[in-house]
Amino acid sequence: EVEETLKRIQSHKGVIGTMVVNAEGIPIRTTLDNSTTVQYAGLLHQLTMKAKSTVRDIDPQNDLTFLRIRSKKHEIMVAPDKEYLLIVIQNPCE
Amino acid sequence: MHGSPPNSRKQLNLVVNSGMQQRKSISFIGPVKTNALKGHGSANQSRIGISKTIITLPEMKTVEKMNIPSNKTIQVLDMNGVDVTPRPLYHPDPLSGTAKPNKLLTSQEGSLGSDFISSYSLYQNTVNPSMLGQFTRSVLGSSSVSKSSVSTTESITEDLEEPSYKRERLASFTDLRVMKATPEIIITKEDLEKNIEIILTETETLRFFDLPTVMISVESEEAEKITQRNQNYEILCRNRLGNDLYVERMMQTFNGAPKNKEVQCDKIIMEEKGIMATTWDLYDSCSAPEISPLSAKRSAIESCSKANILPKDRDQKLQASNMERNSETSSLMDIENVILAKVHEDEEDHSGAILKSDKLHQDLFFMERVLMENVFQPKLAAYRQLPILKEPEPGVSEDILECEKLDEVEEEIKKEDEEEIEISTEQSTIPANLERLWSFSCDLTKGLNVSSLSWNKANPDLLAVGYGQFGFKEQKRGLACCWSIKNPMWPERIYQSAYGVTSVDFSIGSPNLLAVGYHNGTVAVYNVQSNSNHPVLDSSESPQKHLGPVWQVQWIEQDRGTTGDDKREILVSISADGRVSKWVIRKGLDCHDLIRLRRTTAGSSKKGGEKDKKGEALISRQAPGLCFSFHPKDTNIYLAGTEEGHIHKCSCSYNEQYLETYRGHKGPVYKVAWNPFCHDVFLSCSADWGVMIWHQETLKPFLSFYPTTYVVYDVAWSPKSSYIFAAANESRVEIWDLHISTLDPLIVNIANPGIKFTTVLFAKQTDCLLVGDSDGQVAVYELRNMPTALDSSRGDVISTLLGPKSNQPG
Repeated sequence: EVEETLKRIQSHKGVIGTMVVNAEGIPIRTTLDNSTTVQYAGLLHQLTMKAKSTVRDIDPQNDLTFLRIRSKKHEIMVAPDKEYLLIVIQNPCE
Repeated sequence: MHGSPPNSRKQLNLVVNSGMQQRKSISFIGPVKTNALKGHGSANQSRIGISKTIITLPEMKTVEKMNIPSNKTIQVLDMNGVDVTPRPLYHPDPLSGTAKPNKLLTSQEGSLGSDFISSYSLYQNTVNPSMLGQFTRSVLGSSSVSKSSVSTTESITEDLEEPSYKRERLASFTDLRVMKATPEIIITKEDLEKNIEIILTETETLRFFDLPTVMISVESEEAEKITQRNQNYEILCRNRLGNDLYVERMMQTFNGAPKNKEVQCDKIIMEEKGIMATTWDLYDSCSAPEISPLSAKRSAIESCSKANILPKDRDQKLQASNMERNSETSSLMDIENVILAKVHEDEEDHSGAILKSDKLHQDLFFMERVLMENVFQPKLAAYRQLPILKEPEPGVSEDILECEKLDEVEEEIKKEDEEEIEISTEQSTIPANLERLWSFSCDLTKGLNVSSLSWNKANPDLLAVGYGQFGFKEQKRGLACCWSIKNPMWPERIYQSAYGVTSVDFSIGSPNLLAVGYHNGTVAVYNVQSNSNHPVLDSSESPQKHLGPVWQVQWIEQDRGTTGDDKREILVSISADGRVSKWVIRKGLDCHDLIRLRRTTAGSSKKGGEKDKKGEALISRQAPGLCFSFHPKDTNIYLAGTEEGHIHKCSCSYNEQYLETYRGHKGPVYKVAWNPFCHDVFLSCSADWGVMIWHQETLKPFLSFYPTTYVVYDVAWSPKSSYIFAAANESRVEIWDLHISTLDPLIVNIANPGIKFTTVLFAKQTDCLLVGDSDGQVAVYELRNMPTALDSSRGDVISTLLGPKSNQPG
């Protein structure tokens, strides 16, 4: 069920990589190499914390559900959670 | 005073020095007993209260006479046999609380250096005022007496200095017992967490200093006495010098050797700890439910109810998963508390758990949609009639409209956000056309024939598609899928079956129910909210199930005024065994026949007869029904199309007779549809290549179209205009606009060779058309450059058409 969806996402058009890392930055499932994964995980974790703190500071009843960073080259999408981070990097070519 | 080391004074009874015996006059008089002390004290007090004068001679004598012998074990007699036993300076007053000073002293027992005592004395001054008062009085009295006895005439204020020293020694006498060290109380962990009540109350007022006024009004009673006294005092002062009564005398005090003491303690380790108190942190700790009771002050800041944040419902059918999400959010608080425990668990278990967690599943789900949105963004925008976002060229600034698409995850149904694309400017140049946006298809559906389409009534993004072959011989497995606009590449729900699906329809009252009709006559109801693949209800065991393929199912809301219920929803199906049946949900599906379609003869063309004729004996008197359509206003009336080509108007009240029969088609009628605006008009299409428009009252078709020589599988009215309808025949999809032309379709879209278009469906909110084909694809087309029709929803379409077109083609 989950595996299927992960596979589908990975085989989607333009997707460069998919990662599931746990709260400590240890990758659980990834399609990229380890060093890249760890790098992404660490950096995105901090950014997610900051974003979450920002959202909640404005309204404590709110919470961060999704984070998208669009850059020149590709788009990084992060679905944060207490226990894990789901990261997908896509190249949204038109 | 005599130089005796203070240590020796610890004992109750003084050890008299030999030197003391020589002295004639005792330099001090010990405090007398309590009761006497009081009197003595009171006498002194009054004096002290009034003035600071030195006690006059008569009083001194009085005091001297009041030498009441105290308990003593040692008697000291001087040479003359005078009892000169030094009396203890201090009698602890049993009436006043002596405990405190004792304790204080004992705690400081270790170091009784004079300097220490001085601090203690000051301490003592503050502790027990009543005691102090007596001290003061007694000591002052004694000191003043002593002073007077040694003929010093200093003021009492100066005497206070000495008495303080005396008090020190007095205090040392009180050292009776060593206070036992309090046993250490071991503080247990529970004690730490216990709520200790600290009650702060106001103590009684301690008077540290009371300086009563020494001024008395001239008119008061005592004024005379006081003036007298004052005068006496002045006389005394004048007489002081040279008076034998007053003798100056000096004393040397014994200064104890100071002793330095140093203490070194362990190094205090300092640790800095900082925390940023963010608003949400406060909120979280406030809302943490079961661990600690909420303190009242915090509750004032934030509301303490658990915030169940509902993410906006994206799809109503996914309420199950959304509810999971809600429970996840609400139990975030619990999770936070539990997470500390979880940290210590094994990581391998944890990662496995993460993968299986529902939350991950949901996040993947969202992620997929986000990806889809990225890929399909222009198409989806066109569908929703939003401005299409162009991918920014490098160097060009980012489009601010980006933010509109960023809440794809919590997207609400964007009815409000629609903006109409300006068409009118381009109208003249570019003819109306269909632009293909995207198509719903995936591996599963490849090769199957799309047999029916249906929108969800509550969620306009949700589409049900049934896949199944039409012909008897071509039967393959069937599939019913629920697609979402937001994910055009993979259906949300897949319901597989062995038989081809011939019809699907979403319920109106409970939009999560999907009715599916199969080629084998079964009608099944699925609940799309759940993930299971099994139908909620199935008619396979029903004794009255259909025996032929169920060609159409539809949920109808019926006014049941007679029975008292307002709008009950029933499921109506028509099948090839000639029955139109109504299904009720009791224990399982059970059906009642609304009508049995009977074969009618070809209709005597002479009369255009409307009634049934029991003509030739036929093998089967049932006519296979292929389609039906309930009247939009009067849900008792419906049309049923049969394989013979007849369209019967029937009523739910009569299950034997038709109200009307419309004859016109020569082949099986595949679809009938009432005009949504003009309620007397309906449309039908059939295998005889024709599309016909009928008026309810007229038994002959009003208009008929034979655009091609292919079977027309499906027709549908446009929800926006009463003039526009779409027809799908095997080779092409046509959009007709009756307002413009009744001879030619407005738009024609030709299919790829080998693919037949089998179904059409209009999208309600947008100008889009869905077309299903025989390859398993449901293509979404956008109607562009449609002529803007004024008053397009007028109900009098017939009248406008009737006028110029009065002929009735056959």
